[in-house]
Amino acid sequence: MESRTLKPVLAAYLVAFILFLYGPFFVLGILSFQQGPDGGPQFPIIEWSTYWYRQIFGLTPPSRIAPLPVGEALVRSLVLAFMTMVTSTVLGVMSAQAFRRKFRGSTFVFYLIVLGMMVPGVLTGLGTSLLANNVIGISRHWYTTAFATHVAYTFPFAFLVMLAILNRFDGSVEEASWSLGVNPWTTFRKVTFPLIFPGVLSAMLFAFTLSFDEFPRSLFAAGGTEDQTLPLAIYGTFSVEIHPNIFAFGVLTTLFSFALLSVYGILMALSVRRARKLAMQEDIA
Amino acid sequence: MAHDLQLSHIGKVYDNGTPAVIDFNLDVEKGEFIAFLGPSGCGKTTTLRMIAGFESITSGDLLIRGKRVNDMLPEKRPTSMIFQNYALFPHMDVRQNIRFGLDVKGMAAAEADRKVDRIIDKLGLSDVVGMRPSRLSGGQRQRIALARSLVVEPDILLLDEPLGALDANLRKSIQSELKLLQRELGITFVFVTHAQSEALALSDRIVVMNAGRVEQISPPRELYTRPKSLFVARFIGANTLIPGTITQLNAGEVVLQTAFGPLMGEKNDMLAVGDNASLVLPAESVDILPADISEAARQDYGTNLIPCKVTRAQLIGHILQMAMELPNGDVIAVEGHADKYRGQFAAGAQAFVAWRAARSTVIKH
Repeated sequence: MESRTLKPVLAAYLVAFILFLYGPFFVLGILSFQQGPDGGPQFPIIEWSTYWYRQIFGLTPPSRIAPLPVGEALVRSLVLAFMTMVTSTVLGVMSAQAFRRKFRGSTFVFYLIVLGMMVPGVLTGLGTSLLANNVIGISRHWYTTAFATHVAYTFPFAFLVMLAILNRFDGSVEEASWSLGVNPWTTFRKVTFPLIFPGVLSAMLFAFTLSFDEFPRSLFAAGGTEDQTLPLAIYGTFSVEIHPNIFAFGVLTTLFSFALLSVYGILMALSVRRARKLAMQEDIA
Repeated sequence: MAHDLQLSHIGKVYDNGTPAVIDFNLDVEKGEFIAFLGPSGCGKTTTLRMIAGFESITSGDLLIRGKRVNDMLPEKRPTSMIFQNYALFPHMDVRQNIRFGLDVKGMAAAEADRKVDRIIDKLGLSDVVGMRPSRLSGGQRQRIALARSLVVEPDILLLDEPLGALDANLRKSIQSELKLLQRELGITFVFVTHAQSEALALSDRIVVMNAGRVEQISPPRELYTRPKSLFVARFIGANTLIPGTITQLNAGEVVLQTAFGPLMGEKNDMLAVGDNASLVLPAESVDILPADISEAARQDYGTNLIPCKVTRAQLIGHILQMAMELPNGDVIAVEGHADKYRGQFAAGAQAFVAWRAARSTVIKH
């Protein structure tokens, strides 16, 4: 049998792949439990401790190692990711909705939108910064210029997700609603939106996570220290000296991401299970 | 009084220049049951969708109760549509589906409840009101769609192949329900179908369409017995067409010179001597006569006798279906009541096909 030889090979490959993918993360995870404040970011572990976690939350006595300047940056990043998520998802749903009908120049507009995720982030960031400083003459902030670049970047993702969802959407329920005397806006709210909601959820997740850890665009388009997002703040600490508090922080943000993904997974599973149940009953009927 | 629905020189051309509907004219009285019948792609659904407001109208005027509605949005029109795939709202239960139109209009709850209850009762849906539509059979689902449309009290109900997704038995029973419902409510139904049995059974008048054009608008019986075009003659019923040239116009009948000699059909105004035309012979108008029939008995049919051979005889219920091979090798289908023939014709027997002139139409090419 082919699979007798192929299967172990593929399994080994999968293990290697996963190690490669998550290996660095495990190393960081282990090092985050290094002894503090004297232990450094290297093996061996002198003594297991949660010092660096406590240090992040300001629960340790002051030492020569400054606490991570992440508090405000984290809030900024979360707010920015939320703003970006809402804006990009709304734009994504609206523009994908527009693409359900062919219009003149639709191909051009399609590529124009998708361009936002294709152009290198550094260029977008630099360009935006130059435009703001030298051409328009406004100052750069995380909630203005950086926000704009984040939307330009995440909007195409939301748009493509919604395009795929609406592509499979049967428009006759909308026509049925119109023909009952229901106007298009109410039809969208009460019929279309509930049916495409799983897709909207995916678009939101994409926009949020992409914005949350976006670096190159923020680097140029966000302003000075006052405007640093989380990835920028963390990068800033690298240039001085690396302590295991960064690793502890990395573990925490990863856990946060997992929590977010779990919420998404649960919501998705619920809606998929409902859809499957409906489909199954449809088969029986 | 104005007609309920008027289509006057309605035309539709797609953006790429393909014509979909050409010069469609129809006046519909209130309470009429109209069927649009034709092969797929003939423009019948496009016309229905233009009436509903889902498709734009390129030319002509569409009037509902005397008012031009060409540019009126679908939700403003007093029409409601029934779809082949039901188009029920999967995220609402049966009652919510039916109530949707009333709720959105902001009708008072008590009045909406009363109307919904009445229609649920009328369509026999009381047992399923709390269920999701996806748990129900096709027949139930189409009843829900009907209830959902009828509860908003449209002037005109548009039905797009509403029985197309149902199996044969269910189709029959929903058909008769539909007819009763329409008679009782007295509202105008416009029904699109490609199944002629449906159109013939349900409608007051049938609009036969082909390639974007109206071929004929007639009551079912007339469409069957008096097809006005070759397309209709081929499309409706089981007709045999025998081509020939008109040689003589008599008082009530015309004589056609054909491959089987001179044959006679009923006269109509459009014919002249010398025209190329076809004699249309409906399967049930043909009599089968034994080869040894007496001269006296032959008199009734004039020259309308063609010798033939029975190639197949099959009894289906009361109906004997036979295939007869004509002298030129063509095989035609014939049917008649089994009692009439009492098993005299087995496959292989020699016989005559014969018919009375008044029972066949002649159509000019």
